[in-house]
Amino acid sequence: MADKSKLGTEFPAFTYEVEKGKIAEFVMAISQKESKDQIDQIYASKDAAKKEGYDDIVISPTFQTCFALWGGGGLMPMITGLGINLGRLLHGEEEYEYLKPIHPGDAITCKTKVVDMYEKEKKNKPGKFMEFTVLETEMTNQKGEVVIRSRSTLVER
Amino acid sequence: MTKEVYYKDVNVGTEMPSFTSDPINRTHLVRYAGASGDFNPLHHDNTFTALFGLPNVIAHGMLIMGITGRAITNWIPQKHLKKYKVRFSGMTDPMDLNDAENTTKRATLTVKGKVAKKWEEGGEKLIECEIETADANGNVKITGTFVAALP
Repeated sequence: MADKSKLGTEFPAFTYEVEKGKIAEFVMAISQKESKDQIDQIYASKDAAKKEGYDDIVISPTFQTCFALWGGGGLMPMITGLGINLGRLLHGEEEYEYLKPIHPGDAITCKTKVVDMYEKEKKNKPGKFMEFTVLETEMTNQKGEVVIRSRSTLVER
Repeated sequence: MTKEVYYKDVNVGTEMPSFTSDPINRTHLVRYAGASGDFNPLHHDNTFTALFGLPNVIAHGMLIMGITGRAITNWIPQKHLKKYKVRFSGMTDPMDLNDAENTTKRATLTVKGKVAKKWEEGGEKLIECEIETADANGNVKITGTFVAALP
């Protein structure tokens, strides 16, 4: 069961440097493709991205999920830190607000805070509860610009 | 290349072109685990899922959100995307390669969407589109919305 005393906790900030190859690898995975030549080239080629009106290769709309998983020490420290049982963990909701584009070479600093913890009675099992933990993350680039705000709702079934 | 979409051509009720994924198999899950860094064993190790009463590994919710995002950026150039929000409403089992006949539908996802709102604010021409991702049996995986600022 999630530890309610963690409400308001801020996790240590960390910085992730965006790599070109990682963007292509990620987009290949969500595109179910075997090669970077088969994906939308705004994610793989600077020239192609420029032709489409971008300054450089851009990240795809959900790429920032990598920041915490690769740059923030992985999933487990955060989950155990919150007292969540991994086997009961489900992802409830995910929300992004895009403020500035993110390109290869950008160094993105992420600050995550626990903004809400609550429970809801299960519809089909009265007296049993699902636990919800809501995390908000502000992502800032090397110029100090906020690039993405995200909100994740984790559920323990 | 994603074709430009203009505000004047989009109305409340306009449908987003539907998009269908390839059948998701375990190799897709492994590829996504490596790419994203999400190594929760729930997504690749069925000796782990068995501990919690699940017979199968299940797809990463974020893979389904990523596939749904492709449907969006296939229609609206990504640079116009302002907000993207989903609720995960069902788990996705990958197909079994030794039983494709009975398992392909559960692993093949189609994304549909419809424009719900259209308005101008702060000099921007905005649309909000409601989206839904479901498998070929009709089981819903994701409901959500995105907001885009169009030229």
